[in-house]
Amino acid sequence: MSSSERAKILAKYEKLLTPYSTSLVAEFHRSASAIADLVSDQELSQWAEEGLDLARQSWRSWEAAGEYFRATPQMLPMLGLERYRRWARYGRELAELSSALAASYFRTSSKTVPAATFERLGDLVELGRLLYKGTWRSASLAVQFFDSSPQLFAEMSIDDVRVLVRFVDALCDRSYDLASHCLSIAPHVLKPLGDEDRSTFLQFAESLAATGWADARSYLEKGPALLAHVQQKQRVRFLELASELSRREGRQAFGFFSDAARALSTIDPDSHGLLLSLSEELVERSPIAAMEFLKTAATIVERIPLDTIADWHDEGSRLLDASIDGGEAYFRLESSRGEDMLESLSSRLDLSRVSDILRMYGKALTGCEVAVHSSEALAEKGIGWVETESPSTEGTAIFLPPWIEEYSDKERNFTVYKVYCTHQAGHLEFGTFEFEFETEGAIFTNRRNEFAEARRAAAPPAPAQAEATDTEAADILEADEQPTEHVPITDMERFFDILPDRKLASDLFAIAEDARIDLLIDREYAGIRRSYTDRQTIELAKRPSIDKLPLKQAFVENLVRVSLGGYDTMLWPEALHPIMHEAIGVIEMLRQPQANVEDAAEATLRLYELATGIPNIAPEIMEDWEEFDSDSLQSLPMSADSLGNSDIDMPQGEQMPYESPSPVDFRGDFKPETVQMLMKLRKQSQEEGPVSPISPEQLKQMLEKSVEISIDDMAEANLTQSSDLFLTNLIKELNQQAQDKDDKKPAPLKDGQPVTGDSTGDDERELPPEPKYFFYDEWDFRAGDYRPRWCRVVESAIADGAPQYFEQTLSKYSSLVHETQRQFELLRPEMFRKIKRLLDGDEIDFDAVTDYAVERRSGHTPTDKVYYRRNKVERDVAVTFLLDMSASTDEEIAKHEKRYQQDDFDDDPRRYFSWWMARRAQELLTPPKRIIDLEKESIVLLIKALETIGDRYGIYGFSGYGRDNVEFYVIKDLEEVLSDKVKGRIDKIAPVRSTRMGPAIRHAIYKLDQQDAKVRILFLVSDGRPQDHGYGRDRTEKEYAIHDTHMALLEAKRKGMVPFCLTVDRYGHDYLKQMCADIGYEVVPDIESLPSRITTLYRQLTT
Amino acid sequence: MTSSDSTYRQYAIEEYTIDYEPFYVPVKDEVELFLSAYAQKIPVLLKGPTGCGKTRFVEYMAFKLGRPLGAVTKANKNGEHGRALITVACHEDLTASDLVGRYLLEGDSTRWIDGPLTRAVKVGAVCYLDEIVEARKDTTVLIHPLTDHRRILPIEKLGQIVEARDGFLLVISYNPGYQSALKDLKHSTRQRFMAIEFNYPTRDLETNIIAHEAGVSDAVAADLAKLGEKVRHLKEHGLAEGVSTRLLIYAGRLIHEGIPARRACQVSVVWALTDDGDVQRSIEEVVTSIFE
Ligand SMILES: Nc1ncnc2c1ncn2[C@@H]1O[C@H](COP(=O)(O)OP(=O)(O)OP(=O)(O)O)[C@@H](O)[C@H]1O
Ligand SMILES: [Mg+2]
Repeated sequence: MSSSERAKILAKYEKLLTPYSTSLVAEFHRSASAIADLVSDQELSQWAEEGLDLARQSWRSWEAAGEYFRATPQMLPMLGLERYRRWARYGRELAELSSALAASYFRTSSKTVPAATFERLGDLVELGRLLYKGTWRSASLAVQFFDSSPQLFAEMSIDDVRVLVRFVDALCDRSYDLASHCLSIAPHVLKPLGDEDRSTFLQFAESLAATGWADARSYLEKGPALLAHVQQKQRVRFLELASELSRREGRQAFGFFSDAARALSTIDPDSHGLLLSLSEELVERSPIAAMEFLKTAATIVERIPLDTIADWHDEGSRLLDASIDGGEAYFRLESSRGEDMLESLSSRLDLSRVSDILRMYGKALTGCEVAVHSSEALAEKGIGWVETESPSTEGTAIFLPPWIEEYSDKERNFTVYKVYCTHQAGHLEFGTFEFEFETEGAIFTNRRNEFAEARRAAAPPAPAQAEATDTEAADILEADEQPTEHVPITDMERFFDILPDRKLASDLFAIAEDARIDLLIDREYAGIRRSYTDRQTIELAKRPSIDKLPLKQAFVENLVRVSLGGYDTMLWPEALHPIMHEAIGVIEMLRQPQANVEDAAEATLRLYELATGIPNIAPEIMEDWEEFDSDSLQSLPMSADSLGNSDIDMPQGEQMPYESPSPVDFRGDFKPETVQMLMKLRKQSQEEGPVSPISPEQLKQMLEKSVEISIDDMAEANLTQSSDLFLTNLIKELNQQAQDKDDKKPAPLKDGQPVTGDSTGDDERELPPEPKYFFYDEWDFRAGDYRPRWCRVVESAIADGAPQYFEQTLSKYSSLVHETQRQFELLRPEMFRKIKRLLDGDEIDFDAVTDYAVERRSGHTPTDKVYYRRNKVERDVAVTFLLDMSASTDEEIAKHEKRYQQDDFDDDPRRYFSWWMARRAQELLTPPKRIIDLEKESIVLLIKALETIGDRYGIYGFSGYGRDNVEFYVIKDLEEVLSDKVKGRIDKIAPVRSTRMGPAIRHAIYKLDQQDAKVRILFLVSDGRPQDHGYGRDRTEKEYAIHDTHMALLEAKRKGMVPFCLTVDRYGHDYLKQMCADIGYEVVPDIESLPSRITTLYRQLTT
Repeated sequence: MTSSDSTYRQYAIEEYTIDYEPFYVPVKDEVELFLSAYAQKIPVLLKGPTGCGKTRFVEYMAFKLGRPLGAVTKANKNGEHGRALITVACHEDLTASDLVGRYLLEGDSTRWIDGPLTRAVKVGAVCYLDEIVEARKDTTVLIHPLTDHRRILPIEKLGQIVEARDGFLLVISYNPGYQSALKDLKHSTRQRFMAIEFNYPTRDLETNIIAHEAGVSDAVAADLAKLGEKVRHLKEHGLAEGVSTRLLIYAGRLIHEGIPARRACQVSVVWALTDDGDVQRSIEEVVTSIFE
């Protein structure tokens, strides 16, 4: 080969390439010289020719040619000539489709080929071609694919890439942007996944692209992180479940995938396998159920032990066999059967299940009205308590942990509650909070004044907080100009004031008082002794090691143990045993039945005296930690005051700050000072109305001192702010209680637990009564089961309106009023129950027979009427009217009715015209009447009639929107008497929103059920079918609502009530047949006759 | 007129007297009040929840008032005897003739027979109308002339008026707890009586009563009395009526017979009081707290 030959070839092609682009020529030249040594002249010219061909191919194909030339110096040595040719051919083929494709193919090859191997090159090109659809957008996607292929192939196998491309390709049908985005993030997001996971991950992606393409992006972005929640070994199975769901159910797949993955994240990974196996068992029948099972698994494993989860699953699986909807609802935890099953499998005892029993138990023990609530509720009040799981009391209620799960059976867990409750009730029963500073103890001599004296002598007259470390506190005091002497708010505060170390004093008082209470309980309630001792033993086992505590704290800890009866667990330096003996002696004194709270206070003084003498030095300083032998405990100094151990040499050492002993769980949070303050406030606010009788300053001072309330725990604000907050909370609490007192309602049913709503309180005095919330199940006919606590009914009274409306209506209908009244008078209750003097009857009236005989004997003609019969029943009726106040009742009656009988006038236009004129005149005089107006008028007439016969009646309206907001309006409560207020409310009846009948009926049942009457009627007045947001599978479904309403009506029937539906919907027959199967109903076709019809119907119903 | 049959004894109603001193523990000053009322011929209304000792009290008083003259039929071995006590349990079908008397057919003729009230009026007995509000309204009107200064009983059918004999005293009882307003006593009736209000005895007194009546130890009686006190706290709070002394005595008797205390309380207190599951359960919890 000669260089001149070669130069000629180069020159020829340079000339030929020049028209395309000068850069192309440069590329050509550079490459050619780079490969000069590798190729023959002939090969060189062939190579150049191919490049030229490429450049010629189309308008922009010279770019591809450029890339081709540029890649050559790398590709040729890498592949060898043979393979190089194949590589080039792929490129030329691509160029036939699109030069951009080819260009990017050539450009990236140097990286792609090593990553993908040459063998896979054909496949790769194939994938690129797959994406290209001949459009500009598809071309750019394919280019993107080639561009990212080095990265892709670096991470995954060709098979995975193929799935990815198919996924991207499927997305192209929807959106190129989406497809391109997904492709661009793919290498990055797929990187962390393991090989096996990745393919399954991509398979799920592919099925997602087919059904739920909108979620594809989220899936790709978030999927890997979500998947990481699942135990490594189980990821494939999890993805396969998700894919199955996606294949069969489509759109919801990603939502399920992420929810379930999140749920699994809270569960021990080792049990993922089990859960997935259980889930897989369901997938065949319902992929939704399978996923729901995983989704709720987190809740389930929290409630029941893992080894019972199969039982939970099996029950649902059986349900699934019977009904897919039923099974799905079960696993979704939206069915009563699911709740019941959980409850029966779970050993956890929820407070809500037993709070009624505990409340009555507490009331029986203490004789006062004690409510029982969860401790969380107390912490939320923000009045000093922060623990959400400790039992406590604030003087009027007992607060207990929301659930107990200590034992594996509910019965034993209940005894835990019972002990907690008994201890708190003990404080109320045995007068802990009735402490009075001036009252004598029954056992100890009174040393309180002595201590008070000593304190006064020691402390400067300025408040003790002058040296407070809290600078803010100091600021406040300064701002106060001259701090007046703080008068203690309560006796408890005054007591603690006499002891300088308040924390120590408070701890010691708690020990003494709790010991006293426990001993009294032990004495009074022999039956609970065993559970009580069990508790104490458990508490003792949890106590910290004494000899790890500084000395003073060890002293206090020993006292805690004494109070728990754990004498044999005490540990104390031998040399100091006499002190401990004396302390034990003080607590033992409280064992006497006459010991009162003042004795506990006296005991506190004595213990305090002992404790302050003990330095809080490191335990290591002491070497002679010794237990107490029972003999030495036998001979305790049992006199009330036996000092004289003052000659003991106390060890020396550096003192550590004193810390309170760890709490005793069953005794809970004990805050006597706060409780006394609350009780005082309560008492004053009851006497003087809901005002705060303490000044903010007083309160602030109390807060600063008190060790019971730690401001830091309550809020992060500074002292002023948080004491303000505290005060606000206090006032709220007091007002709340005052109000609760006012409208005490009979004990609620389990179903209808009323919860007082949040006050959005401004400080107006005339606050409207707060709405009450009630929860009810809803019937899901598909699942064949109730959805537990599904609907929230909000009960409130209708605003007051003008009472005149009532009288006006009566005068408007005066003739009808007279008519109905006359009819109703006939129903008046019978005075006597026996009807005597009958020709025939159940029994012979002895008197009558005697008269008969006497008269006959004396020659008169006696009457044959000697029988009597018991009259049926006395009239004893309670009725609840439930009015539909949905928006549709706004409809004008004229429109509702048929416009007119068209054919009536057909033959006579004059008659039509005069009718029309009359009607217009009428319309001008009186505004068009709406359905609701007639409902209102009917109610007025009914009330008049009902008052005549003295039946008990309640009138309620309902509407609302959505299951969380079923509005239930009280127009007249069953217990209420007819007043101007009630009359005014009728005036205000107005159309509102939707018609979710079921929960409204259930609430009406709840109300009616509290009435003790022989006949109880539930009278529903509506204008159409039940419908509401979410009251059915979708907006058009009517079945669900009808079934739920029907079920609610049947529930009334089961309770022995008489449900009756009256509707003015002329098309009502369609659904009423179903909704009121087995239940009385009537369609009033002529709505104007509603007032008369409703009274007639009522009369018929009750006789 | 004692029956010769030794298995049971039967008396004419006005001849029944109490011949042993009934066990009665005065709770307040009711004994003095009653004695004064008797002396002053003021009719007495006993108010109070069921089973708190009203009937027992009337028996006790009848004994105490041991009458010097009249239809003394028998005396016990100590020569003591009580005043005749005629008790009528009122019910809703109780008619005037049930109280006053009626004609009976006898062979071809009729015979008048005095009702319990008439008999009491005639012999000067203590007449105790138990649960008066249950009686029909027209019946209660009947006692009006008897209960004011006239102290007469008109017998319409005979066209007679009977003047009450000296020892006659009308006592009625009334449980204000569970009557509906409908059945309240008419004021014109009510205001003819002085009212002695009864309530459950204090824990200590009740302990005595239970120990005596049930024959149980003081400790058991004290626990039962404690139970009584606790359960009564639940009145109007799931319970219409607190547990009566009577029921506590029943429980004591069962314990005396050897029934375990918790069980005895369950059958005679818990189940007797209420059918409501939750209330039952909470009372049971009180029982198991008190009794081992
Ligand atoms: N103060 C008391 N002294 C002695 N026993 C009493 C006393 N109070 C109640 N008891 C006992 O209680 C039982 C029930 O009392 P009693 O039958 O007198 O009640 P009551 O008030 O008449 O009830 P009711 O209203 O149901 O008729 C008596 O048999 C008696 O054993
Ligand atoms: Mg009685």
